[in-house]
Amino acid sequence: MAELNKTENARRFHARHRGRGAQVWIYLGKLLRMFVYQSDWKVLPMAALIAGLVGMVIRKKMFLNMEGTLMGAFALVCVCIWNGCFNSIQVICRERDVIKREHRSGMHISSYILAHMIYQFLLCVLQTGVTLYVTKLTGVQYPSEGLITPWLMVDLAISMLLISYASDMLSLWVSTLAKTTTTAMTIMPFVLIFQLVFSGGMLTLPAWTQPLTQFTISNPGLKVIAAQADTNKRPFVTISDMLNKMGDNELNVEITMGQVMDLLTDDEIPTIAKLRQSVISLRLGDTQETPDDSVTVGELLDQIVEDPTLQAHRGNSYTLNITVGKLMDVVGRERLKGFLEEKAAQASYKADYALTEENVISYWMHLILFIFAFAALATVTLEFIDKDKR
Amino acid sequence: MSVALKMIGIALLDATDVLGALLGVLYLAGLWKLLEKSGVKGWWALIPGARDYQLARCAGREPEGRVFSVSGVVMLVIELLFVLLGNSKAATIEEIANQVLVLTVLLIAVLFVRWIYMLRVFAGLLNVYNLRKRWLWLVLASYTRWLPMLLWGFGKKYQPEWKLEDIKAELARLATHGSATVMDEGLTVNLEERSATEFFQKKVLLRDIHMTIPQGRMVLLLGGSGAGKTTYLNAINGYEKAKAEVMLNGSNMYTQYKKMQYEVGFVPQSEMMRGKDTVLNTLLDAAKLRLPRDVGARQRRERVDEVMEIFGLKPVRHNLVDKLSGGQKKRLSISMEFISNPSLFILDEPDSGLDGVMARELFVQLRKIADTGKIVIVITHTPDRVIDLFDDVIVLAKDSSRTGRLAFYGSIEQAREFFQRDRMEQIVKSVNRKEEGGDGLADEFVMKYAEVQYG
Repeated sequence: MAELNKTENARRFHARHRGRGAQVWIYLGKLLRMFVYQSDWKVLPMAALIAGLVGMVIRKKMFLNMEGTLMGAFALVCVCIWNGCFNSIQVICRERDVIKREHRSGMHISSYILAHMIYQFLLCVLQTGVTLYVTKLTGVQYPSEGLITPWLMVDLAISMLLISYASDMLSLWVSTLAKTTTTAMTIMPFVLIFQLVFSGGMLTLPAWTQPLTQFTISNPGLKVIAAQADTNKRPFVTISDMLNKMGDNELNVEITMGQVMDLLTDDEIPTIAKLRQSVISLRLGDTQETPDDSVTVGELLDQIVEDPTLQAHRGNSYTLNITVGKLMDVVGRERLKGFLEEKAAQASYKADYALTEENVISYWMHLILFIFAFAALATVTLEFIDKDKR
Repeated sequence: MSVALKMIGIALLDATDVLGALLGVLYLAGLWKLLEKSGVKGWWALIPGARDYQLARCAGREPEGRVFSVSGVVMLVIELLFVLLGNSKAATIEEIANQVLVLTVLLIAVLFVRWIYMLRVFAGLLNVYNLRKRWLWLVLASYTRWLPMLLWGFGKKYQPEWKLEDIKAELARLATHGSATVMDEGLTVNLEERSATEFFQKKVLLRDIHMTIPQGRMVLLLGGSGAGKTTYLNAINGYEKAKAEVMLNGSNMYTQYKKMQYEVGFVPQSEMMRGKDTVLNTLLDAAKLRLPRDVGARQRRERVDEVMEIFGLKPVRHNLVDKLSGGQKKRLSISMEFISNPSLFILDEPDSGLDGVMARELFVQLRKIADTGKIVIVITHTPDRVIDLFDDVIVLAKDSSRTGRLAFYGSIEQAREFFQRDRMEQIVKSVNRKEEGGDGLADEFVMKYAEVQYG
């Protein structure tokens, strides 16, 4: 009997158990079951709801002008970060005791985290699809042509997926650090605020805080979506909009004779050009002969302006009472609008938002780096689960 | 005041002016004497950070002491940075303003944490000195804190209820040195010491536990709260390693832990299962994890069916774990470990939350497992209702140095004779400390058992 026991013990001792790869499938199966039973599926309708709300806000601005596009890009980044963070913030801490028990029974932490990574990736893919579809439904006008792929929607989907997934992995790490769900949910707002404030795109940060933006997912996230939306090429409309709104405001403009003379001879200004081309008939004295007495206003003005006596008074200044609207009419509203939007857009140009393959790929790489770094940190942190105080 | 003098003032006395320094000196003098009263070297009072921790130890609030101490050091660093910043010539006004802003935000956050933990530590100190809570009002304000400290430190009528030095002295007195002979079959434990280092301080949780448990025994593990029962179980199954040699059926649990972990089934106190999974899936996953990989899907399913049959879980196999009754959850938890047919089966309070009938049914089931040649070790706080099912009893007790010790290991009858008590609950009471409502005889029984065991 003793011999038999010894043989049985030896056989059991040398038996091999499931390795890391096989364990990944065990846990993936478990997580997919949890998706149904533990109401994890609720993250999908939630993503649709959030996308709908954001879509309604950005639909009339995104892809139409620079400010609207940048704001829309930031809103999409916020949606992705929000979705990603809330997917996984509680998933590990809520079953910390179970993990401890299973780790004691031979579970590999790396398999467990990898199973989560696969599961969360699938969730993020679904959420990204839902977000893009719903925002399109709400009326966001996505351009069709992409940079990396032939379709912009696909390019954007990749970016949004990477942002969501990186946030997801960040939260997964926080979930390994927190011992309870309450702690995790207390940490969460700080993580979100840090991500949003230090995105480096929307708020002007003091110089000494700039390096912090390198540690946020929102920074490369905002850059990549802003670049893909070709933000730099969009008109900057704030100034011209403001001028339109100020149409009734009166101006007391100090103007010199020289400036008036230059204005009257400027063919570039459509109103002036039109005026200058008008033909008028001149009847000189009481002569009956009218061989060719017609002349353009331009010719007449040129003669007047070139008059040496008048030229001597170029420096004389006069006060002109005029509304902004009338002044814009004189200069030409459309021309002024185009000019201001173009110049403001040039001044607001950011190399970070340039639509180049180099930019987009480097931001994607940055996000992928975050994904693996956070997943590695989550694995290392969870490896110490046995050290929890009882 | 020069910068250096200011920094020394802050570091040593937590003061930035002459009056503050004077009050600081009074506080430290009181603290020095108070530490000495509790058996701690008085000079700790001079070391920033460490003095807070030592004070917390004297107050019996060591965990709070860690945060109290760290927050003190962080505050000190911030205050020193303020001084340096105030004397910085290189930085621009804007840079200084930014840095001051950051430091101020940090200081407010740390100050709040420190204040809360200081409250906890001093509340503990009031308990140790048996004083009224109203003293806290004097303690909380920094400019009056010196007064109670001086009174408690120098006043003869203020004496602590217990001292740390008593504990230290007992450590050496109660040391026993023995060992158990290693068996080819069964469990042999030779545990010299299980200690933990917390905040640079070594704490001995268990010491000198030596025993051999043959196969087929059902063993009751008894001990008061904090006696180290769970620590002991974790040490013998290799989960929390001790300075020990633990042999199971001739194999070393520590050096061959990866292989041996499947030989031990540990059923934790709380259920620790996923509530939103079904019973069947929970067991199938447990089987996949715990059974060798050459066991096919069909065999696995057969084993799961067999275990469900043994523990009466078949009727609820498709139910979610959350929907099970307390007893069913316990049985499922045990089934998960039983799937791999372990040689050593350890259960931490498997009957908690169960009524007498259900608890007995469960222990009958465990008896059956032991009868198949397994070793079953069980912690329970209501042992007398099922004592007839056990073969042996281990009694752990917290000695006067607050270390878990072996007060007895032997058959139930021998235990009754050894402790001169009929009921197991009376045995636990006999070794429990007086302040816990016990008889405070732990040291006597530890020494008595050591004499019986080693002569």
